[in-house]
Amino acid sequence: MTDADLPSLLPGMLPRLWAFALRITGDQHDAEDLVQRACVRALERAHQLRPGTAPLSWMFSIVHSTWINELRARSVRSRSSMQWDDALLETVADPAARSPEDHVMNGQIIDAVSRLPEAQRVVMLLVAVEGLSYSEAAEVLEVPVGTVMSRLSRARQAIGAHFGVREGQKMKNTVKSKGEVS
Amino acid sequence: MKLDDMLLMAYVDGDLSPIERQEIEKEIAASPEAAERVALFSASRLPYNDAFADQKLPPVPESLTKKIEALARAHAAPTASASATASSDRSANDAHIEHGATMPPSTPVRSRMRIAPAWLAVAFVAGAFCLGAVLRLAPGLNPAQGAFTTASNGPSPWIRAVVDYQKLYSRETVAFGPVDTETSAQTVAQIRQDDKLSLRVPDLSSAGLTFKRVTRLRFQGKPLVQIEYLPPDGPPVALCVMKDMRPDAAVAQATVSDMNVVTWRQDELHYALVGGENRGLDLMAIGKQISGQGVDQLFGKASSASAAHGTLG
Repeated sequence: MTDADLPSLLPGMLPRLWAFALRITGDQHDAEDLVQRACVRALERAHQLRPGTAPLSWMFSIVHSTWINELRARSVRSRSSMQWDDALLETVADPAARSPEDHVMNGQIIDAVSRLPEAQRVVMLLVAVEGLSYSEAAEVLEVPVGTVMSRLSRARQAIGAHFGVREGQKMKNTVKSKGEVS
Repeated sequence: MKLDDMLLMAYVDGDLSPIERQEIEKEIAASPEAAERVALFSASRLPYNDAFADQKLPPVPESLTKKIEALARAHAAPTASASATASSDRSANDAHIEHGATMPPSTPVRSRMRIAPAWLAVAFVAGAFCLGAVLRLAPGLNPAQGAFTTASNGPSPWIRAVVDYQKLYSRETVAFGPVDTETSAQTVAQIRQDDKLSLRVPDLSSAGLTFKRVTRLRFQGKPLVQIEYLPPDGPPVALCVMKDMRPDAAVAQATVSDMNVVTWRQDELHYALVGGENRGLDLMAIGKQISGQGVDQLFGKASSASAAHGTLG
């Protein structure tokens, strides 16, 4: 990867950058502007892309920091005070592909992640959805790995508590039975 | 975070060795609190990937795809003929895309990030970088006529490019965050050393312009420096510099793509001072001030080259 490759890679990365931007902004207009600004910034700084860094992770990083700057500029401290576009939370039933139960479950998962505090939500998106390693996520967010794990831990406990009313008991039983086996 | 949590997550995710599992299970058995957290982590083991893959997101807007392609083309700086050929099948109606089908007309524009004439401006970046493409964006214009031709007495292609680039910039583009003096000084040093440009970054505070950042760009493979300043009001102003071996040329003013541009050549450098509509700014006077060495320079701990340059004035 040299900086000269970035322009040729960007169009291919666009769908994932778009999805990531949509998910962190929750707004189509913001997402479109965000991706555009991030690409401008990336192309201007292509020479800063180090050989060991995956271009996609690097782009996530720029998208994220551009968005954080934007939030700061808007003086928005917490995600909850922003207007969330509910249309994005909807999943459309695809009767051919999955059972209605799966579909409802998927909607609940997306909903649970969407309602996490900003910092935890982004970590969940990077690790659980985009499949980045903890250290890659740390690089994207420019924080220590420990911070990523701490946010992930809090995010998972919150989501676990959300699903726990119904699922938790089952899991507890599973853990207990595992404990008995070993 | 409790150290435990990392181990407990790893336990729940099945990432521990059998011996480690046993250790953790002992701890869980002894601690209801640990067992509770394991239950939470277990309950959080969900098919996130599937769920999000199932999420029907709006498709990438066509306008965005085109903008990114245009940006990518501009930065790849291909030869004019190649890029014109590659994109010759583009529709002349591209400019209409901005209000695409994915955008409900009733949706209020909440974003303050909006860069208003985005698509058209980006298209012009590409066009300007790639020369021939400009003509394509003006359907119906005979290549031999009108302002789109790059007449020999018109602005240099790189100046047209930076002007169209600058059109994309709003105050917000450069207003964020404090000025990073250290990085700027490093960038200036790189420009002097690696790009071999004896650059002075003029301190234009006396003209009301606050230095924001200096950026290394490229035009057709050659170094191009962009220095952004922010006036008290209105869009940012850029001083752009490229190497140019032609003889010096006096400060002159022109309007390029509705932007005010003041250009001059001095000591093998070609300067373009670019600004949008702003009655409060006299770019011509500022250009003369810079070329006359009438201003101090920032990041002045210069190499010998730029020191020499500084004494010429």
